[in-house]
Amino acid sequence: MNTVLSRANSLFAFSLSVMAALTFGCFVTTAFKDRRVPVDIHVSKVMLKNVDDFTGPRERSDLGFITFDISADLEPIFDWNVKQLFLYLSAEYATKSNSLNQVVLWDKIVLRGENTKLSFRDMKSKYFFFDDGNGLRANKNITLTLSWNVVPNAGILPLVAGSGHVSLPFPETYETTKSY
Amino acid sequence: MHFSSTANMLSIFKSIPTHMDYKGQKLAEQIFQGIILISAVIGFIYGLIIQQFGWTVYIVMGGFAVSCVLTLPPWPMYRKSPLPWQPVIPESSGESPQKPQDGSKRKKHK
Repeated sequence: MNTVLSRANSLFAFSLSVMAALTFGCFVTTAFKDRRVPVDIHVSKVMLKNVDDFTGPRERSDLGFITFDISADLEPIFDWNVKQLFLYLSAEYATKSNSLNQVVLWDKIVLRGENTKLSFRDMKSKYFFFDDGNGLRANKNITLTLSWNVVPNAGILPLVAGSGHVSLPFPETYETTKSY
Repeated sequence: MHFSSTANMLSIFKSIPTHMDYKGQKLAEQIFQGIILISAVIGFIYGLIIQQFGWTVYIVMGGFAVSCVLTLPPWPMYRKSPLPWQPVIPESSGESPQKPQDGSKRKKHK
């Protein structure tokens, strides 16, 4: 503390320690918050094809095309410890070969300060809904769920499933369109 | 000419006294800790209210700047109680032959 530099050093070190404590405090104030919000998913159209899947096994695989609507109000999720949300729509279903299949169909990043009211109509999926076999045809229970990763300033990276999912049966035949 | 002026500048720069006395150092430490802690509390509460952690950071940085101005330069208030040094004792002529001996001892230690 006897020279300018030693004073600057202790001042800077003390400020950094205080900032670390404040960041931890920011994490503590939001650590136990419930980040689930209701999500309304509606599927308007499903089409099923049987095509060559060059990435998987040699046989032809099932490829589904889903047209869906999503509406949700994400405003309650955002607070001072949230930088962005990574939303993704996933399909879950069981087949004979696998008891649990999860396919991500669509995703979106919502930054802090952006419009938090989601309202999408007649959305096409961003990614191919390929099964690794023929498990989609006549599948009675395919569940679509919207989940999100909460990206914080500090602390844990929670993975939250929105409450409100939709289950639908898939068509019995290929190349036919099923409306709901 | 140039070289001598820069050397002169450096010596002037080094001759600026930056030290504080002991009480002044304690006072400076207490002042900057107090300012930063207070700005941290204010910033945390303000950030919590408006839900913007960025403002918490800005307010703490503001407190940092204020305490830099207040405690880095050796303001007169930190130099009010200088140490009472003993007055210089005039050297007696008998000490002069001892000085080279001291120098040789130092060399041996190193």
